[in-house]
Amino acid sequence: MIRQLGVIEAILRNRFHFFHEIRDDVELPRKLRAMLLSSLTFFALYGAVMGSTHSVWQALSSAVKLPVLFLATLFICSPTLYIFNVLFGSNQTLRQNVALILTAVTVTAVVLLSFAPITLFFLLTTSQYQFFKLLNVGIFTAAGFMGVRFLSQGMRVVAEVGGEGDRNLHLVLRLWMLLYAFVGSQLAWTMRPFFGAPSIPFELFRQLGGNFYANIFASIGEILGFVTVQ
Amino acid sequence: MRENDPSKIDQLLDLLLDALQERQSERGVEPSAIPAPPAEESLAGDAPEPVPAVRQEEPADVEPVAGPDADADAAEEDVIAAPVVPEKLAPIYLDRMLGRLAIFLAILVVLVNVPFNRYGTNLARAMPDVKALVIRDGLVLKGEGEKIYVLEDNRLRWISSLDAFEYYGYSWEQVNLVDDEFLDQFPPGPPLSLVYKCNGSPHIYTIENGVKRWIKDIPTFEEQGYVWDDVQIVPCRTIDDIPSGPPIPPDAGEPPPP
Repeated sequence: MIRQLGVIEAILRNRFHFFHEIRDDVELPRKLRAMLLSSLTFFALYGAVMGSTHSVWQALSSAVKLPVLFLATLFICSPTLYIFNVLFGSNQTLRQNVALILTAVTVTAVVLLSFAPITLFFLLTTSQYQFFKLLNVGIFTAAGFMGVRFLSQGMRVVAEVGGEGDRNLHLVLRLWMLLYAFVGSQLAWTMRPFFGAPSIPFELFRQLGGNFYANIFASIGEILGFVTVQ
Repeated sequence: MRENDPSKIDQLLDLLLDALQERQSERGVEPSAIPAPPAEESLAGDAPEPVPAVRQEEPADVEPVAGPDADADAAEEDVIAAPVVPEKLAPIYLDRMLGRLAIFLAILVVLVNVPFNRYGTNLARAMPDVKALVIRDGLVLKGEGEKIYVLEDNRLRWISSLDAFEYYGYSWEQVNLVDDEFLDQFPPGPPLSLVYKCNGSPHIYTIENGVKRWIKDIPTFEEQGYVWDDVQIVPCRTIDDIPSGPPIPPDAGEPPPP
């Protein structure tokens, strides 16, 4: 397992070589396997940290749900990116496409893992559920931002387009990132709870209703003392 | 002086020419003297433009057209055409560090979830926000059923009606949803109900489940956990209109009219 984590160093420290290797199809299955294993492990760990705010069951549930959330988003959004890339002149394969998105997901997972001690610290010392929720939204936003930056860089290396094609690629990538964020946040809302409200018993899934963005605004409102989230 | 001047100029020009030739040859031999891009771009900055593959694969040893100037130009071209993909950095064994961090976190997650008292409280949920687990008098609890309880003297008192819930000043925000197993830890106490009395009558009644229950005497009244402030004075007709239930205690005999 530790050997599989070597892929993280390749991504973080020698990323342009890594992207060139993806472009040249060098050991792609091994890379995909290593990224998948690393990101699953890191997401599971971070999920367990998040869920510990509520109960052991919630920790176990979040440890499973968080990796599923990211992988499901990946598989939902990959075909769109691939087809639009092809439409705008890219010559990369679907596997290369998935490898690039998985690179972004792996970077997100590593950044989350690096934040895990901070989350754990606030878990032990903070007293406000809404604050903890918003802290995690901030952490996920930062981690996701780093991930998509890597995706953007990788896409430019792998796509091998120039001039007009490069501009199109940028446009496609930006629109796809928006789509990815929307799909991810909606799926996260559907799969909630990840933290578990302190006064509500453990539940694997909560009934649907409301939406992610309304809840975030309500949480900010509660922290500022305007409203109370029921 | 006039004869010397041209020779001095010639000497100076020769020196200048030598210097230029030397500079040219230096540039031709060591193209890397031109500053190279940074080894790896930091994440905070913009992404460097990767050189398209076609350009990277251009042969570096293109024949110059002619002359020393062409040599210099060709050398410069070579420098520009050289791939900007940075050198591979030496390993820092990040995998080991990440592996250790992951193991350390996994151990911490287990540790913070280990309960340290008989109520199942653990480090992760020991902070005040998780008030459902802070056992104290006045804690309002609701299990999986409909009944709402208030904890008093380590006993669960069922709040027998919504009117009683409101009369005693509780709000829905105070209600903590818990598992039935959690409620089972506490023995039941007397229910918490509205207490009615009408003017001109010494009798006191509690209202539970829509029926009135006569409280036999003052000691029983106090045993039920009530104080005089709990008693509401209402018209006798109001009490009359409520159907009678068993007295408190049940063997107290026939309840008198209010």
